Amino acid sequence: MLKQLTQQDLFELFDRLAEQYHLLMPTLLTDGSRELMPWPGSKAAAIDGIIPSMAGEPIQRKPTSHFFPQTDPLVFLKPDGTVSVPQPPDKPLALCGLNREDLAAVAFVDRFFSAEPADDVYLAKRSGALLIGLSGHCGDGSHGDHFLPLAQGLCDIELIAEEPNEEKKEQEKQWLAVVYNAVGEQWLSGFAAGSPQRLELLRHKSVTMGHQQQELLQQASRLLQADQVPDSFWQEISSRCIRCGGCNFVCPTCTCFCVQDRTTTAGTQRSRIWDSCQLDAFMREASGHNPLGTELLRTRRRIHHKLVDDPKRWGEISCVLCGRCDRACPTGIGMVAVCEELVRRFTS
Amino acid sequence: MQSFSNKPAQSIYSPRGCTLLHVEELTPQEKLFRFVLDDGSALGHQPGQFVQLSIAGLTEAPISIAGSPTRGPQFELAVRNVGTLTGALHQLQVGAKVGIRGPFGRPFDLAALQGKHLVLIAGGCGLAPLRSLIQYCEDRPQEFASVQIIYGARTSHCLLFKEELKAWQNSPHLSCCYTVDQAVPDCDHDTPYDGEQGLITDLFEHLFERCIFTAENSCAVIVGPPAMYRPVIEELRRYGFTAPRQIMLSLERKMRCGIGKCGHCTIEHLYCCTDGPVFWLEEVETLRGAL
Ligand SMILES: Cc1cc2nc3c(=O)[nH]c(=O)nc-3n(C[C@H](O)[C@H](O)[C@H](O)COP(=O)(O)OP(=O)(O)OC[C@H]3O[C@@H](n4cnc5c(N)ncnc54)[C@H](O)[C@@H]3O)c2cc1C
Ligand code: SF4
Ligand code: SF4
Ligand code: FES
Repeated sequence: MLKQLTQQDLFELFDRLAEQYHLLMPTLLTDGSRELMPWPGSKAAAIDGIIPSMAGEPIQRKPTSHFFPQTDPLVFLKPDGTVSVPQPPDKPLALCGLNREDLAAVAFVDRFFSAEPADDVYLAKRSGALLIGLSGHCGDGSHGDHFLPLAQGLCDIELIAEEPNEEKKEQEKQWLAVVYNAVGEQWLSGFAAGSPQRLELLRHKSVTMGHQQQELLQQASRLLQADQVPDSFWQEISSRCIRCGGCNFVCPTCTCFCVQDRTTTAGTQRSRIWDSCQLDAFMREASGHNPLGTELLRTRRRIHHKLVDDPKRWGEISCVLCGRCDRACPTGIGMVAVCEELVRRFTS
Repeated sequence: MQSFSNKPAQSIYSPRGCTLLHVEELTPQEKLFRFVLDDGSALGHQPGQFVQLSIAGLTEAPISIAGSPTRGPQFELAVRNVGTLTGALHQLQVGAKVGIRGPFGRPFDLAALQGKHLVLIAGGCGLAPLRSLIQYCEDRPQEFASVQIIYGARTSHCLLFKEELKAWQNSPHLSCCYTVDQAVPDCDHDTPYDGEQGLITDLFEHLFERCIFTAENSCAVIVGPPAMYRPVIEELRRYGFTAPRQIMLSLERKMRCGIGKCGHCTIEHLYCCTDGPVFWLEEVETLRGAL
């Protein structure tokens, strides 16, 4: 199903969605960054000047954190011996504004947590949630021409911003909406049909976008699989790591966690908390044995896990090239930076 | 101390309640705990599997099931006191309530062991998981051609299941030899240690000299501390254990969830908690950091 929406149509759609979902929308924060925030309603948006910021800087908070938050209650253990699980949210989430890479990350993590035994704690938040992808002419310029490549799936509804018309005002911005399933259809059935030709043009425009970086990852993955990268390389890269764990914490496909108990008179809350394989204690056993006991091994694992181990296990590279770790790493050794160096040095 | 519900698990993270029935001191550091599930059901485990033992406030620890399922619905855990949770467990009295999740993990491949001459090799705490298999062999002797147990501990004080070692030595269905790196004067008892002394690999020569089987119709199972694997494997190879599916091992890793989610136990693309902890040697030998 393909629909055509004006900015006003879009706001009406959001108002309707917000009745059934906790709708989160890209919103500009005072420091200039963007974050998915609750949709305030189109009236409030107009009055308070809170305009959803559909275009702009990439959103640094990982989208998967809405389903797998930094601290995530697992079970509550009461003193009388009963065990309770967290209450499901009163309304499912609707995340609006996920780009192609973020949608790919959610799809990967969905698959990871759905593998047997399915992770009910994750699925309680994820099941019934609505994903609204965002693409087209709403980028920040980093993808060239302020254009985000089309996701072409992996979500319920994809909103594609059409090319801005210089004479038209922001309010007259036009959107194409591609609907990928019955849930999406239910929400968009009332709107005017969109033009397949215009969609095709936009599709054409995004065909080759991101291919260069994809190729870089593939090349790095092949070199690693062929064991062409010596430990001296990892030694060198790891000497630049300050073990802050930032790369893991921002990564939308990182899912490692540790478990923590907090006890009050009411009982014990057992929760999981994000963990980082870049920290020394990550694999250290009580006996002192530590299979990731050196900086070298941990740095190697960070890259290997995404480019060699996950492809072996899940059939795909688990880096979606979202750019977050490269933006977050204080010493410039995020995924793309490492792959560039690795490919440059070891491609014969 | 917190007790746990015996209602069916609501979540993959919900512990099931069980009660401590019996505690026995094995060494100054290790105790054997016998539990029963509060809902009266059997644990339903197979030799080689583990549980996530839970104490409210102290999270969980993976502990191997030290007894065979052939021994009834109660289950035993042999636990070394090394830290917070294991320390608290050692303080528990009979009647105490704890939680467990599981059984988890890939068990010893009993089908592959059937009809074979078994060489069961344990080092240190590794005797706990191996005991589940040893008891199974004791109870179903007709399923195996022969069973040879080889066990090594650091000192004579650290020997686990001392009485059972003797019983296994005298069993018509099992053979058992053990050694300690170092015999220390026994301060608690009058009887000094009079067994073998030396490395576990020293026992091999002696064993294979008088053995009635050949490597081809045998399977070795190894459970021990990380440092033990390579020397023992090398020795087994010297005696002809070179074919695939001839050496099985159980590996220990840090585990927080036991079900393939937390990521702490990975060995390259494998998850020790679900793909293991029992592996065939050839599945892990070339993986970096596995052995
Ligand atoms: C499959 C398997 C089977 C095991 N079987 C036995 C057994 O039969 N008997 C026995 O005595 N021990 C066994 N262990 C080791 C046992 O799990 C650890 O000794 C125990 O987790 C230590 O917990 P602690 O809180 O007492 O120690 P602490 O030193 O207080 O632990 C420090 C922290 O590290 C964590 N930690 C350290 N090592 C491990 C680990 N290996 N797995 C998970 N978390 C860890 C603890 O949970 C804690 O958060 C087994 C481990 C595994 C993986
Ligand atoms: S670019 Fe970095 S943060 Fe993004 S998916 Fe890849 S590894 Fe993770
Ligand atoms: S963000 Fe950079 S410095 Fe921090 S742990 Fe990751 S690689 Fe190391
Ligand atoms: S223990 Fe959590 S993934 Fe294996």
